[in-house]
Amino acid sequence: MRSVGLRVAIVAAAFALVAAACTGSEGGPGATDGDGNGDTDTGTTAGPSAFTYSVNSEVMIGTDPATGYSNEVIALHNVYETLTRYNAETTEVEPLLAESWETSEDGLTWTFTLREGVTFHTGAPLTAEAAKAAIERTTELGEAASYIWGAVKKIDTPDERTLVFQLSYPSPLDLVSSGTYSAYIYDTEAAGGQDLAEWFAEGNDAGSGPYTIAEFNPGEEIELRLEAYPDYWGGWDGEHYERYVFRVTPEANTAAQLLRAGEVTLVQRMSPQLWSSFEGQDGFETSAASSWQTLLALLNTADGPLADERVRDAVALGIDYQGIIAALEGAAEPLSGVVPPGLWGHTDGLEYQQNQAEAGALLGEAGFGPDGERLTLELTYLKGDADEELVATLMKSNLEELNIDLQVQGLQWQTQWDKAKSGNEAERQDILVFYWWPDYPDPVSWFYSLFRTEKDPFFNLSYYSNEELDAMIDEASVVAATDRDEATRMYEQMQQIVAEDAPAIPLYTQVYQRAMLDEVEGFQDNPAYPNVVFGYELTPTG
Amino acid sequence: MTRFLVRRLALAALVVVGVVILTFVVARVVPGDPASTWAGPRARPEQVEAARRDLGLDRPLPVQIAKYVGGVATGDWGLSLRTRRPVLEDIAQRAPASIELVTAAMLLALAVGIPLGLVAARWRGRSPDVLSRLVSVVGVSMPSFWLAIVLQLVFFQWLNLLPVAGSYDPDLDYTSPLRSVTNMPILDALLTGNWTVFTSALTHVILPAVVIAAYPAGVITRMVRASVLDTIGEDHIRMVRALGFPERSVFTRFALRHAWSPVVALLALVFAYALVNTFLVEAIFNRPGLGSYAASAIGALDTPAIVGVTLFVALVYVLGNLVVDVVQAMIDPRIRVA
Repeated sequence: MRSVGLRVAIVAAAFALVAAACTGSEGGPGATDGDGNGDTDTGTTAGPSAFTYSVNSEVMIGTDPATGYSNEVIALHNVYETLTRYNAETTEVEPLLAESWETSEDGLTWTFTLREGVTFHTGAPLTAEAAKAAIERTTELGEAASYIWGAVKKIDTPDERTLVFQLSYPSPLDLVSSGTYSAYIYDTEAAGGQDLAEWFAEGNDAGSGPYTIAEFNPGEEIELRLEAYPDYWGGWDGEHYERYVFRVTPEANTAAQLLRAGEVTLVQRMSPQLWSSFEGQDGFETSAASSWQTLLALLNTADGPLADERVRDAVALGIDYQGIIAALEGAAEPLSGVVPPGLWGHTDGLEYQQNQAEAGALLGEAGFGPDGERLTLELTYLKGDADEELVATLMKSNLEELNIDLQVQGLQWQTQWDKAKSGNEAERQDILVFYWWPDYPDPVSWFYSLFRTEKDPFFNLSYYSNEELDAMIDEASVVAATDRDEATRMYEQMQQIVAEDAPAIPLYTQVYQRAMLDEVEGFQDNPAYPNVVFGYELTPTG
Repeated sequence: MTRFLVRRLALAALVVVGVVILTFVVARVVPGDPASTWAGPRARPEQVEAARRDLGLDRPLPVQIAKYVGGVATGDWGLSLRTRRPVLEDIAQRAPASIELVTAAMLLALAVGIPLGLVAARWRGRSPDVLSRLVSVVGVSMPSFWLAIVLQLVFFQWLNLLPVAGSYDPDLDYTSPLRSVTNMPILDALLTGNWTVFTSALTHVILPAVVIAAYPAGVITRMVRASVLDTIGEDHIRMVRALGFPERSVFTRFALRHAWSPVVALLALVFAYALVNTFLVEAIFNRPGLGSYAASAIGALDTPAIVGVTLFVALVYVLGNLVVDVVQAMIDPRIRVA
């Protein structure tokens, strides 16, 4: 009897799998009334207005502002604040907890003046001592992106509101202090005698931001509820959301349904098809903004056929960039250079264009191409990432026309990375496709990590080495501390070098496609803080 | 009976240890480095090395397995690489919600499957039988995620009758907050007398429970039909008929009673199967539970959590079968001897 049951189970599972492969994930938009779902939905009840953010996956992967290096930033940036904040519209750094700052001529001393009248949610006032203690705890723990403070040798606090950083080498501390991770200022005394990390893990917070954690339910659908902090320095005059709810909705279809019913206010991400079903709909608004998640193809410049620059150029010219963008239906934008738009140092006019004739000619010179020997290249990408898979498939068919056999291999990140770092050069891939984004708003991230010479490969997975560029990278990060305009010019030049040598092909930058209720006013993505919705800046009009 | 019980228990323990070792080895052989996962995607090599030492991953595999099995026995299922909490704690927090959902689904499956099976057996070969076969075949072969989306479309978007997702209306947390006792929302609402949440939770459980019940209901229908038909031909039923009992009593009072044994055996198996089936359904209906936990664990290559969930499901399987074996042995002495 039991084996019959098992057999039936296996057959049913097989059925499910086959059907899963055949059916698309998209459900028809159907009839939308957008007025709630009747008996079970209490909708917007009287009382404080609530903003409900429908997110794709668990929010509070980390709870400690010093060590969080994952999805929790989308909550923490509403609860904690940094000294400064980067504005991607103006590409300028703006005051937040620091009212003003200045740097010495050599870029080795940075003085920040703190805002007056700021208190932490614990009631303690924000003082220079408190800020110093937070940064020191973060760097001492040495996790997440704490390396961004690496240049800091010593922090002085001449008075309550003045924070003086002494650096061991010049570093753009205004950018560092507006970082995405590891830049929060918090009250290190919040836990009293208890271990602070444990205290955070229990769902407490010690920030100074507009919201404070009211409820933390790990693993639940309503994972996190934030509440307005009444003594927030910005004040609560005018219309603001006073409650902020994170609702975890892994299924894009379900998220879309919840938005139609008005049960959530804004959806983080759905498929482009679902997203466009909200475009122009009454009662809803959509927004599309380019992110700093850049998809790059790193080419093996050290070993194999791509060590020949002509072959690299040919591959770069062989890809149908417009086709890739079109296939992604608005979820991606062409990328000019490696530095994405919205980040200072971004340069226009560096996009690659497909040119099969020129690519064929270059390959012919190298002995390959349509009239030459068949070329086999190996490409690795992140298994399970549908976008990367699509790109790999399109590249394969593009390059086939040039008589290149592109063998694409989807791997788990660890495997992909281990293969790329392998001591045995023959084991390494020819092309590695992966996303890169910065930890704080500085283009140096791409150059220092991806293109600076490394003895043992870590993230320079093109194995690229160019002494001239190395020197420029080191110089640019110093210049950035004192002369941002000059640094911008340097990054333009450096991107031109990269475009010429082609150690990497910028494929595209991801586009955030948000859909929300039209009661929300003032929403704008800030790519420096990926997927963060700053609740305080929104105005409810419903 | 005691000897039988001891033998069964020993066998069950052996199966569990086997499952642990197998999952552990598979999880380690699969490409991916738990230490790098723990240290984060951009960790420096020395951070990864430190994590490897802290997690005991630098020791030989047999030592790790021995340590893990020893830990499991004493309640230490390791640390989740993703949530950084003890795996057992995570499972204890999430499993109740899944078990509540599966229990609701099983009740539903029984409520549908038994009458349908009886009807099919009673009018064997006639239109009720054909209809019941159709219903159960559809129930068994329908992919659960597809059924889920169709139900959401029909009952939420078109008819506006049932909620689309969640375990109860989140706004109720402000007006009538639910006190957590067992982590099973329906049971908690019942225990604390929170009727608003109870009603809301009940309406929220219907659609996911129907989806999960579809497969067991189909199998139970077929099983009830088959075993009732088996019994109906036997001598004692012929005697009952000869004594002049009405057909309805013959089926419900006499035949069904003897047909129970295989159905109970099936239940244990189907329960564990349904528990795994919630993995998808929970994600679609946005419900907390073991399913969504396992899904995120797999996505993050969180080996201790994956092994933990596998172990938990294996335990449910083994325990369910053990209970069934014991119950059957109590009902039917022949099994004890075999």
